[in-house]
Amino acid sequence: MSESIERIEASSDARRRFLNIAVSTVLLETGFEAADKMSMETLTEIMQCFIAEVGNSAKGYSELSGRVEPVLGDVMMAFMNMGINLQGLEQYAARPNRHVIQPPQQAPVPRQ
Amino acid sequence: MHMTRMNSPSIGMDEGTGVGHALNDFLLQLENYTPSIPDSVVAYYLNISGFESQDPRLIRLIALASQKFLSDIANDALQHCKMRTSSQLAQNSKNQKGPKEKKFVMTMDDLVPALQEYGIVAKKPHYFI
Repeated sequence: MSESIERIEASSDARRRFLNIAVSTVLLETGFEAADKMSMETLTEIMQCFIAEVGNSAKGYSELSGRVEPVLGDVMMAFMNMGINLQGLEQYAARPNRHVIQPPQQAPVPRQ
Repeated sequence: MHMTRMNSPSIGMDEGTGVGHALNDFLLQLENYTPSIPDSVVAYYLNISGFESQDPRLIRLIALASQKFLSDIANDALQHCKMRTSSQLAQNSKNQKGPKEKKFVMTMDDLVPALQEYGIVAKKPHYFI
């Protein structure tokens, strides 16, 4: 039992680590050279909450209109409801000095 | 941490349709674009909250939007940091001529006012155990 819990914690920790790397990358792009641990953790938590909240909201909108799978409109409604400013998203996507993180490697499943 | 939606900057409804059309075109370009946050990580957190989509472009759009959200916050925090350090430097230069500090370090002192503008109330704990 304790082993499975540990494994779950370890796997969520891996995703968390990638979020942490992404946050650091964005901070570096912005012009910060260092960040203290508390603000890093706060920003990582915000990112995780943000993604989960968008997912929850988009799912709610899609189910409201009788669909199972969310479409672009649902995601748009979720962003609007959360007050997220999407103005200039295209320019942001095409910014020159962007870094790309290597996608995580899939760990091979250990044989029982 | 508590998110309020009332005092956060929002898209005006009158320009909403234009944004929607532009976004629809933009979605097509996301086919071969990789945001900083890996797709699988975003998909995992979306799946936790019940969002399941077969379209990888939607996941990329959400990744990009969250990245931009973070970038906007970081930009605000950087402005706070610059203002704070410049005022400190002015005070320091009156007393003594020190070396010019140009390194920007993100601390909660800068982050808290930046987050407040986005309607996120974060409080620095008084102590750590």
